[in-house]
Amino acid sequence: MSTLAKLFPPGARQALPVLLFLLCGFVAPLLAVIAYSFVPPRTFSLWQPWTLENYVEIFNSSSYITFLWSLGLAAATVIILALICYPIAFGLARVFGRWATLITLLFTLPLFVSENVRIYGWILFFIKNGVLLGSLKSMFGWELESALFTVGLTLLGMVYVYLPFMLFPMTLGVSMVPQQTREAAFDLGATRWQVFKEVDLPLAMPGIIIGFLLTFVLAVGAIVESKVLGGQRIIPITHDIEIAFTYAQNWPLGAALSVLLMLVVGALVLLVLRRFDLDSILGRR
Amino acid sequence: MENSGDRAWRALIWTWTLAVIVFMYLPALSLFLASSTSSRYFMFPIQKWGLDWWQKTFASLEVRQLFETSFFLALWVTMIAVVIALFGALAFARYDWKGRSAYQKIVLLPIFFPQTVLGLALLLWFNALGLTMSWHTAVFAHLVWIIPVCTLVISIQVYSFDPALEEAAFDLGATRWQVFREVTLPVLAPGIVSGALFAFLLSWGNFPLSLYTSGADTTLPEYLYAKMIAGYTPGVPVLGTVSTLGAGLIVLLGYLAVVLLRRGGSTAKSAD
Amino acid sequence: MTAQPILQLRNLTKAFGGLRAVDNIDLDIQEGEFFTIVGPSGSGKTTMLRMLTGMEFPTSGEILLRGKRINDLPANKRPTCMVFQSLALFPHRSVGQNIEFSMKMKGIAPDLRQKRARELMAQLRLPDTYYTKNVTKCSGGERQRVALARALAYEPDILFFDEPLSAIDYKLRKTLEKELKDIHRETGKTFIYITHSLEEAMVMSDRIGVMRAGKLVQVGSPQEIYSAPRTKFVSEFIGDVNVLAVKADGKDQVRSAELEGRFKSPPIPQGMSDGYLVVRPESLRFIDKRSDAENSIEGILYNEYVLGSRVQYQVRVGERVFIVEKLRQQGFEGKRGDKVLIGWDAVDSILVSD
Repeated sequence: MSTLAKLFPPGARQALPVLLFLLCGFVAPLLAVIAYSFVPPRTFSLWQPWTLENYVEIFNSSSYITFLWSLGLAAATVIILALICYPIAFGLARVFGRWATLITLLFTLPLFVSENVRIYGWILFFIKNGVLLGSLKSMFGWELESALFTVGLTLLGMVYVYLPFMLFPMTLGVSMVPQQTREAAFDLGATRWQVFKEVDLPLAMPGIIIGFLLTFVLAVGAIVESKVLGGQRIIPITHDIEIAFTYAQNWPLGAALSVLLMLVVGALVLLVLRRFDLDSILGRR
Repeated sequence: MENSGDRAWRALIWTWTLAVIVFMYLPALSLFLASSTSSRYFMFPIQKWGLDWWQKTFASLEVRQLFETSFFLALWVTMIAVVIALFGALAFARYDWKGRSAYQKIVLLPIFFPQTVLGLALLLWFNALGLTMSWHTAVFAHLVWIIPVCTLVISIQVYSFDPALEEAAFDLGATRWQVFREVTLPVLAPGIVSGALFAFLLSWGNFPLSLYTSGADTTLPEYLYAKMIAGYTPGVPVLGTVSTLGAGLIVLLGYLAVVLLRRGGSTAKSAD
Repeated sequence: MTAQPILQLRNLTKAFGGLRAVDNIDLDIQEGEFFTIVGPSGSGKTTMLRMLTGMEFPTSGEILLRGKRINDLPANKRPTCMVFQSLALFPHRSVGQNIEFSMKMKGIAPDLRQKRARELMAQLRLPDTYYTKNVTKCSGGERQRVALARALAYEPDILFFDEPLSAIDYKLRKTLEKELKDIHRETGKTFIYITHSLEEAMVMSDRIGVMRAGKLVQVGSPQEIYSAPRTKFVSEFIGDVNVLAVKADGKDQVRSAELEGRFKSPPIPQGMSDGYLVVRPESLRFIDKRSDAENSIEGILYNEYVLGSRVQYQVRVGERVFIVEKLRQQGFEGKRGDKVLIGWDAVDSILVSD
């Protein structure tokens, strides 16, 4: 075998296109962002003396508050979704039988409609004279205030948009709990709650954790929900980043904010993913 | 093992799930209702039912342009993504090679990443490279996210692929290319079709990445966003409903295609 | 008088890092014989098979096919074909399409392919209507035959088998073993088979090679392996045997540490001082007095197992258990806990090294 073939076994060769692409399309832009964050504010060229001004500004301004809001909202979304999705995941893996595929399709479908369209649907639902208030008014004569433009509705929007991202990894996790192990636990005298605590939860944990991670990371990058549904009652960090890049024409600041976000996300992802054997989760025999 | 306690739980789970499904489709329902009124503003309950706005929307040249842009963008993304992801998936799930576990994590990174930040980072990068934004750059941007997703989807099919099949074909005298054509591709076909479906639909409906990287070209989601912010137009619910129904149709067709492919190739003819 | 062997292995070695999966093997395989390599998991038999078929390449040593070196020849160019453990039938193709695959690769015309495929199906007793049937819908036995037909259609000089019967239930396996033997006789081709079951090997093979930790421990006919194993490993591989660690004590006598006493043994080979005395269960018999056999030991009847046409008795002797086997007709009246005398003659025992 030629040394080149030895150096690049078939697996590595197949991986090259993807890796090269990600190098140019993912790694490079992120490196560019990091580079830009060290450049003086409101400038556009990279060839300048490096400075930490941008980072200082973040901590002096209220940007770190919006950052915390983003993290908080994302965390709240994760917790709410965990509670909502677990029963469904359990159902998909154990209860629904031949209906499981159809139900999965029903949950997959919204993913393919862009988020702003779906969120607009909620506006139509909650707006004054919209579906909800309109019906209440015509049926019961109630004239209520619209729930729109509140923190609560922002959260609703986020829960709505990110539901599939919690549901599918969780379902994968639940399906990893062997039925016979559960039956054995029952057989040994455990109550339903004990089976849940001792068998279901620990064995489904890989899927659950991935669901948490994916939902959190994506939710931290949410912007449309707060803008449209929440009337900007809360400003998430993504909004600050967007403004910096567009209206404020302050790329270095935007870059610095992005770097902070990337650090949080990156740290979480690496921490979690490194402990997982993806082969067994995704179904290798 | 079924007793009344079990039945109660099952009923609870079913009820809960159905409630959540209704929740998931309330926006779609609202969109549909809003699109079926002929009046300019949305008032519920609907006084004037009519499909006027459907007519007006599809007659619009602007809307047709949007469909074209979104369509070609999605088409290019799908074609490129499927080819690269196919090999990526083989590397992901099949061959044992040294960097594989690191590779798996790297491939997943763009998925576990806030899209808005990715879009903005790409905007920065393209500008630094001096590129003008158009739907071409949007193709590239979409691919950064969609190639990993596609790789993952195809990998799931690759995991259940018995490598002995390729070895057997090779042993029976096939060249490497013949093995690929006669065995690898047909057996992986359901996964490849699923991957293509995901790629197309995710690109079609994508907003954050398109927003920052498509430049002067506008995709459907971008247009809808602008209209949403600006004020109420009945055109938005129409297009929103079309989007939902269209996606539903494609998913259904794709699902049928995958099921048929899985059933196995053999037909009455013997000669291939 | 002996023709050139069809396959010759010289110092064949495959090493993975520091581990030698196949360790310096020398072997000649004659044309037309049914040769089985037997060994436990991890003995290196699968690795060796893969080197012979061309799926892996040797670290050192030679593989000669009819005198020609084929070390570097890839699998698709070798005149050999393999039946895989999982059978590896193409799930997206019909029975006919599977069988015709190699012919299609060679570019043979469709009608000729079909003719040959149907011939093979008839030879392997597959119904003609199965030609268009999807392979995933066939039963286990039928799939085995399709796999075999597919390999035969390649017209190989040597057919390799990688434990194809290991995942099948007993009855079907016995049927297929006999069928394989028949096919071998009908086609006259060289069959090289690997399995972990010596029983399976004995039914079908002309010769058997026992492999352990990468080395060939013994090669011989089934009869030789059974009645004249050379090492403890080989003798235990066959099944339940009684093995006693002994030291030489004269020309044809040995002494055991475990059991008090000397035992008459077959002639002790030159230079052998430590070894094992192997007595098969069917060579042991129940006796009334010590003079009824050359060697005898006293024990307590411990258990009785009925194994179909034979009965197995376990006799406790001190810390050990000896196994005696009798045919059911020869019955032995005894209850658990009875004191018994078991005996054997030296000629019925075997001396082996480690």
